[in-house]
Amino acid sequence: MEAFGLLLHGFTVLLTGKTLLLMMVGLVLGIFVGVLPGLGGPNGVAILLPLTFTMDPTSAIVMLSCIYWGALFGGAITSILFNIPGEAWSVATTFDGYPMAQQGRAAEALTAAFTSSFIGSLCAVLLITFLAPMISSFALRFGPPEFFAVYLLTFCSFVGLGREAKHKTIISMALGLLLTGIGMDTISGQLRMTFGSTDLLRGINFLVAVIGLFGISEILLTMEERLALRGHAAGISLRVILKVWMDLPKYWVTLLRSSFIGCWLGITPGGAIAASFMGYNLAKRFAKDQDSFGKGRIEGVFAPETAAHASGTAALLPMLALGIPGSGTAAILLGGLMVWGLNPGPLLFVEHKDFVWGLIASMYLGNVVGLVLVLTTVPIFASVLRVPFAAIAPMIVVSCAIGAYAIQNAMFDIWLMLLFGVVGYVFKKIGIPLAPFTLALVLGNRAEDAFRQAMIGSGGDLGVFWSNGLVGFITTLALALLFWPLIDKAFGRIGQMLRPAKA
Amino acid sequence: MSSDIEIVVEDPTAPETDSPAVASTGTVDVVVSLLLLALAGVLGYDNWRTGMSWDESGPQAGYFPFYLCVILGAASLYGIFAARRNRAAAAETFVTRAQLRRVLQVFVPTLLFCVMMQFLGLYVASFLLTAGFMWLVGRIALWKSLLTAFIFTAAMFVTFDIAFDVIMPKGPLEAAFGY
Amino acid sequence: MRRLAKIAAAGAAILLSTPALAWEPTKPVEIVVAAGAGGASDQMARMIQAAVQKNNLMKQPMVVSLKGAASGAEALIYMKSSDGDSNKVLIAYSLIYMLPLSAKIPFNWRELTPVAVIAMDQFVLWDNAGKPYKNVKEFIDAAKASSSPFKMGGTGSKREDQVLTVFMEKRTGAKFVYLPYKSGGEAATQLVGNHIDANVNNPSENLEVWRAGQVRPLCVFDKERISYKSKVTETQSWNDIPTCKEEGLDVQYLMLRAMFLPGKVTPEQVAFYVDLFKKVSETPEYKDYMEKQALKPIFLTGKDMTKFLEEDDAQNKSLMTEAGFVAK
Repeated sequence: MEAFGLLLHGFTVLLTGKTLLLMMVGLVLGIFVGVLPGLGGPNGVAILLPLTFTMDPTSAIVMLSCIYWGALFGGAITSILFNIPGEAWSVATTFDGYPMAQQGRAAEALTAAFTSSFIGSLCAVLLITFLAPMISSFALRFGPPEFFAVYLLTFCSFVGLGREAKHKTIISMALGLLLTGIGMDTISGQLRMTFGSTDLLRGINFLVAVIGLFGISEILLTMEERLALRGHAAGISLRVILKVWMDLPKYWVTLLRSSFIGCWLGITPGGAIAASFMGYNLAKRFAKDQDSFGKGRIEGVFAPETAAHASGTAALLPMLALGIPGSGTAAILLGGLMVWGLNPGPLLFVEHKDFVWGLIASMYLGNVVGLVLVLTTVPIFASVLRVPFAAIAPMIVVSCAIGAYAIQNAMFDIWLMLLFGVVGYVFKKIGIPLAPFTLALVLGNRAEDAFRQAMIGSGGDLGVFWSNGLVGFITTLALALLFWPLIDKAFGRIGQMLRPAKA
Repeated sequence: MSSDIEIVVEDPTAPETDSPAVASTGTVDVVVSLLLLALAGVLGYDNWRTGMSWDESGPQAGYFPFYLCVILGAASLYGIFAARRNRAAAAETFVTRAQLRRVLQVFVPTLLFCVMMQFLGLYVASFLLTAGFMWLVGRIALWKSLLTAFIFTAAMFVTFDIAFDVIMPKGPLEAAFGY
Repeated sequence: MRRLAKIAAAGAAILLSTPALAWEPTKPVEIVVAAGAGGASDQMARMIQAAVQKNNLMKQPMVVSLKGAASGAEALIYMKSSDGDSNKVLIAYSLIYMLPLSAKIPFNWRELTPVAVIAMDQFVLWDNAGKPYKNVKEFIDAAKASSSPFKMGGTGSKREDQVLTVFMEKRTGAKFVYLPYKSGGEAATQLVGNHIDANVNNPSENLEVWRAGQVRPLCVFDKERISYKSKVTETQSWNDIPTCKEEGLDVQYLMLRAMFLPGKVTPEQVAFYVDLFKKVSETPEYKDYMEKQALKPIFLTGKDMTKFLEEDDAQNKSLMTEAGFVAK
């Protein structure tokens, strides 16, 4: 139990008044940037990075990591209250979180989100504490075929889930995949579908599309229905929190599954974004009544949030141990470490023991302090819903515009956001599902790159996706999920006594 | 404070509920399908030009997008037929006149806001949008509207421009103050 | 918040003293990075940001803005469309020559204002430390003998990494398949995980895995060895890596790291930045960074820089043409 001793030492480094104070400041700032659209995780951390230049390394890193935790917690708030996901991994949280808020259960949804974030991160931190060296060698086994298999798995877990007409799901996913291909193709270095436009050259930014599809279109729909944010501003009290917590054990399978998915995808470099989608999809797939998802089911908040935060935390592991950031925010943290002369890589754990264990200890403390902090502020956030719609609507529009513009400093993105707002409005009304579209926008490009890299490597041989145990397992799992309804039916037909195994 | 407070901003000139339909779901469905078909055609052509075959080193740049266009086109065509076949669903109202008017009440200001942003900068535009929307659409007292809009815009300015150095589009007013 | 204080201080300074003659930025200065987060350009930008802030070289803060979309073309277009805006500085590298050729991006570096060349980056041929071949000759022989061609990983397509690969093929007759990745960091990990057989990463991109003994440097693509002699690993320094020419592989390439302002800025503005980067290049942070990343020190401005750029441009163009990467 060497790890345990080192961890204790880490705690002793941290437990000083000054560090704890910095922690609180970091968390508050983090939540703040997490809530502000257009800042969000990576941008927010990047902006706050210079604040730490004048501190000593330990304080700086504690503060930075607390900003990171804060931003992770904060991201859920706008998703639930306004249907505006600040980060790719908050998208799945909107699916059930926002309907809950509409039904007046905002406080419940927020509590669920924060609590499950906490659980997810905690699982991942435990993993980092005890398995760090082993895990980092696992991450190295991922080459292009393995990456593609993981993305395939995410897509396959999605197909056939919705109740919408099949051709509409296909339209949605194909359109998303097409739009993600606009811009420069990494593999060939060629421009595609840009029609000579320098604005299209950048490609369609995922967040811009999402802000339009969810944020702007929601305002249009709300206006049309004259609902005007039916904010049952239910008083948040200890009772609501306790009620959610009492319910937690009921969902232990979901929580465990999502934590596992999150940890696994988080240590897979670049896989963190897929986690929340996959967590949500699998929870839905294995639920008894799939139809109640998307209509404000608390499990639909637990599943993606746990997975997102487990992966967000686990993503720090490949960053520390291999120097590859698992997420955008982790990439910025990486930059921060470099400023301090701490070069992430295999030797960091050997050469800077103090720092690494201090950081890991700060993950524990930061999470606990963060949870308390966000829970106590839930009433403040929930009360936003009591502001008259006529005042909140333009503010949301402005926030959306700031968010869309800040990503690439481009006026073109504002128009794109508006366009996607209309598209989202029309699609929702004629029953074209938006979830496959967003998933395709996030992962489409990476999946294509991985596939083509794998093809170049294997000389065009598709057998590469079964070339070793790891990739073969993931690919087969993906195909099994794709044909799950058929398999399920087949099993059912064979006989009632043979219940299909839950895997 | 646990009683439910329901805030529904009513348009004081609330229109009658049985407002005539502007378009049916079927029509919109067909129009969207046609638009998607056209998009698939245009993008498909561009990808065909880029190269859509499978050479010795795997698929070319246009390969996946090209076939996605084919899939998108086929699904859209199917969508047109499906919409024609299922007449009951197609006859459903897509939007009524009253609903459309309310949607435009928020869409048009948003559009104006985006246009203004180019010339006046984000902060002035957001002040005008917030104040104007609250006053004209929400029928909230002018002074309240102006005050709220000012506080909101100022808060945004302080947060983004001064505290976090986020660069936002600015116009003549900010320039006059030296920003 | 810190800017509020600065604005107040600046305001007080203006009131108390006669206005300074020299031009100075009045807004936060944006360092535009034509690559993704964590890459070599991003690291350099953050080092400059820290050096400027810690040494108080400028009143206004510096902001790093990442514009890595479309392999960095986003940054080029952004700079091109910012004529006259003296609050944006681009950290440029060889993409300013190559992207317009390979992808027909409507961009020409002559439309920007050159400020200073601040460093030259090296390229090193690396293989996995677990492999039996220990020098260039053994590596090339193994590549020739292999039944399936060796996989070479690198950043982007039709760029410096792939150009080097093509020239290695031309000089030796060995065949490689080139796998384009999004970043050098990715190429480094893929090499450690044995998914590729070699890469031609910059020293900074492979530094940590080299120190951990996971990869092995075979040779450096330069006329002379890297000058830094302090030990990086337990046994080797940068200076211990032979040049490729010494090892019988006559391929050379160096990549510039240079700062550019947008077009149509005034000479006073250029002068301010030349001075700023001169000061930056004298800070301990900068010197430390150069050594750690094994960058070749150089500082060129004015006519020297223009002359260098023209020559460098011509050289890159001929390399790209010979490699067959110029789009028709």
